[in-house]
Amino acid sequence: MMSLAHFLMKFRERIRARYEEYLVITIETLASAIIGFSIGALVLYILGFNPAKIYFILFSKGLSNPNYLLSKSTPIMLTGLAFAIPMLAGVFNIGGEGQLYIGALISLIVVTSTHNPALGILAGMVAGAALGTFKAVLKVYRGVNEVIAAIMLNWVMYFLILYLLTEKLYNPQIPHESIPVPEDARLGKIPTPIGDIRLIFFIAVIASLIIYYILYYTNIGYMLRVAGLSPKTAKYAGFNPNLAIIYSMALGGAMAGLGGSLLLIGYVYSIDTTMSTLFGLGFTGIGVALLGRNNPIGIIFSAIFFSMLIIGGEMIELLAGAPPELADVLTGVIVIALALPYMYRMLISYMRIRRLIKK
Amino acid sequence: MLRKSISKVAALTIVAIVIVIIVVAAALFTIGPAPSPSPSPSPTPAKKYKVAILFDVGGRGDLSFNDMAWLGAERASKELGVEVSYLTPKSLQDMIPLLESLSESGEYDILVLIGFLWTGPLNQTADKYPQQKFALIDATTGVIRDNEVDILFREQECASLVGIIAAGMAYELGGNTIGAVAGMDIPPLWKFHIGYLFGAKYFELKTGKKVNFLWQYTGTFTDTQAGYTTGMQLLQQGAKVLYGLAGLTHVGMFNAVIDWNKEGKGKAFAIGQDASQEWYAPEYIPLSGAKRVDVAVYTAIEMVVKGTWKGGIITLGLKEEGVGIWDLDGVEWFAELAKETGQLKDMTPDDVYNTVKSLREQYIKDYVWDLVNELAEKIKKGEIAFKTPMTHEEYDAIISELLKGNLNAALEKGSVT
Repeated sequence: MMSLAHFLMKFRERIRARYEEYLVITIETLASAIIGFSIGALVLYILGFNPAKIYFILFSKGLSNPNYLLSKSTPIMLTGLAFAIPMLAGVFNIGGEGQLYIGALISLIVVTSTHNPALGILAGMVAGAALGTFKAVLKVYRGVNEVIAAIMLNWVMYFLILYLLTEKLYNPQIPHESIPVPEDARLGKIPTPIGDIRLIFFIAVIASLIIYYILYYTNIGYMLRVAGLSPKTAKYAGFNPNLAIIYSMALGGAMAGLGGSLLLIGYVYSIDTTMSTLFGLGFTGIGVALLGRNNPIGIIFSAIFFSMLIIGGEMIELLAGAPPELADVLTGVIVIALALPYMYRMLISYMRIRRLIKK
Repeated sequence: MLRKSISKVAALTIVAIVIVIIVVAAALFTIGPAPSPSPSPSPTPAKKYKVAILFDVGGRGDLSFNDMAWLGAERASKELGVEVSYLTPKSLQDMIPLLESLSESGEYDILVLIGFLWTGPLNQTADKYPQQKFALIDATTGVIRDNEVDILFREQECASLVGIIAAGMAYELGGNTIGAVAGMDIPPLWKFHIGYLFGAKYFELKTGKKVNFLWQYTGTFTDTQAGYTTGMQLLQQGAKVLYGLAGLTHVGMFNAVIDWNKEGKGKAFAIGQDASQEWYAPEYIPLSGAKRVDVAVYTAIEMVVKGTWKGGIITLGLKEEGVGIWDLDGVEWFAELAKETGQLKDMTPDDVYNTVKSLREQYIKDYVWDLVNELAEKIKKGEIAFKTPMTHEEYDAIISELLKGNLNAALEKGSVT
């Protein structure tokens, strides 16, 4: 209890101290949202669609089913974290995709043999973390670029799953799906005022909060952030920046693995051979992280926002007769507009530092 | 610094607001005249049926399944006067929520689901919405419901015709080996295997010419590289004609056949399946087996409009024109579609039409067409019908009997002599 009260107090202090900064961020976000939606409307108008109608569909359909909205935001929230944590430590983790695959695969194997969802989730996290650590170790000790390793390993994982699905783990009744998670091991829904919501969403939110705590209130988090801002400073302060890279990739990998196993155990229950259940979630996570400004709390909201755009976007085709790609274009425009101020600030501070160094 | 950035933000906000005003004005401008055309069609006497076509993941532009579904729906909207909307789901996990929300809205008289991925989601939602009609194309939930129609194809029938033509072409190319690059070892492919082998043996029976038969599963529908290597292997084993039964995988097989010809290793042909695929390389693909998803979609919509709806499983074969061999008009239509999507580059649809026409005239002799027509007639009249194996053991048994030359082992009804 003491520590919770202490935590809350520190949190309040933090907000009070950085009040103005948060205000600027809020105004910035609102302004860029307006700009993003306006440019989107302009694009729609030029293409001959009625922007008001399309936006109405996007929001009303996107938000109409809270359970669908929040369930769909769960995996991308976690792959968002998988990108954000290493980013704060200065590593570019685009392997969220592969880490999500391996998390789903391992937890499928564990949960079908043990019928224990907790064990399955744990195994998925460990698997994701192991894959993340592997890439970090390659980078630190062998100088392998983490982006290239991640791209290649993503495909290794993709085809590994595809092979196991078609050869070993397929469901004899429905050959295009994997064996399902046993009924007694599935995570269900919990009743809330806005309807029954899948348990996995709450687990993902708790995970985000824990990551937030780790990043901003523990020594490891401090080490990660310092190493990310300046490896030399970290060394000077007595931290090992290489260790920070390994920790961050392990944490990020664990989050992506958690995303894969939650998706499987609490939502889809089986993987299909077209891989549509898993494919792309890791990459979407990058967008989620950027939109959430690499902040775990921000990522919770940006994942829900993304989920709304995806769900509403699907319905645009049905209700407005637009091609399905239009929704993707619209999503892209809005997300870029929302992420721009953050990138702009990063660029400004980078240039300021360069100027200082020159002096 | 802070004040500076705030003023910057304020400026941006003003710009944004100006843009918003312009856009809103523009939007209002477009909304303004919009309602005028809508009241005019409303006093139509008959009820206008609303249909939603739910594509496979991936949606339109595949020049196969989804495009054919679109074709069938467009035909229905023209001929039956129904109002059609389309939807492309992003992934498997979106399918159940989509079915639920569309069924709950009660907007659509029928939801037509394209492809096997919908099987599980439909099975989990159909019972909850008894008043909503569903049609599942090319798959079945295995459950009979009043509100659900599953439309399957009798693939054996088209594969048997292709088998005869393939054997005939192999002889024209100076060999006697035909082969197939197949996808996964699953029930729909078993039906193709039985039909194709039956056709080859039918040719053998009627002409007395020996046919050497090769069949290879690749285990995938999406890997063009696997299709290429498997295609090459079969060509090296002497295959003159290769039948592609593996979705995207057999595009790799097409490439293998093209390379085989271009590198001067011999002359060989490829055969496509489902959509007309001749346009991909008309000099080397003279033929495609047809699986008419468009006919299936049209059939389902027709059942609703004409009030002949009855839940259960329907199979479409040669008689219903649900399967067959693409005629030259079909070849040209798909070539035009390929041109529109930019996939047909160096040729016009007319070139495709002419190339395929002359190829067919040159390599498919009249005696082969006679055999094909004879068998097709028997099938259409219902004199013979093929077995559909339920288990892998049954499938293996039929294949081994066929290989021994016992054609009647593949038949449910009737016999050939």
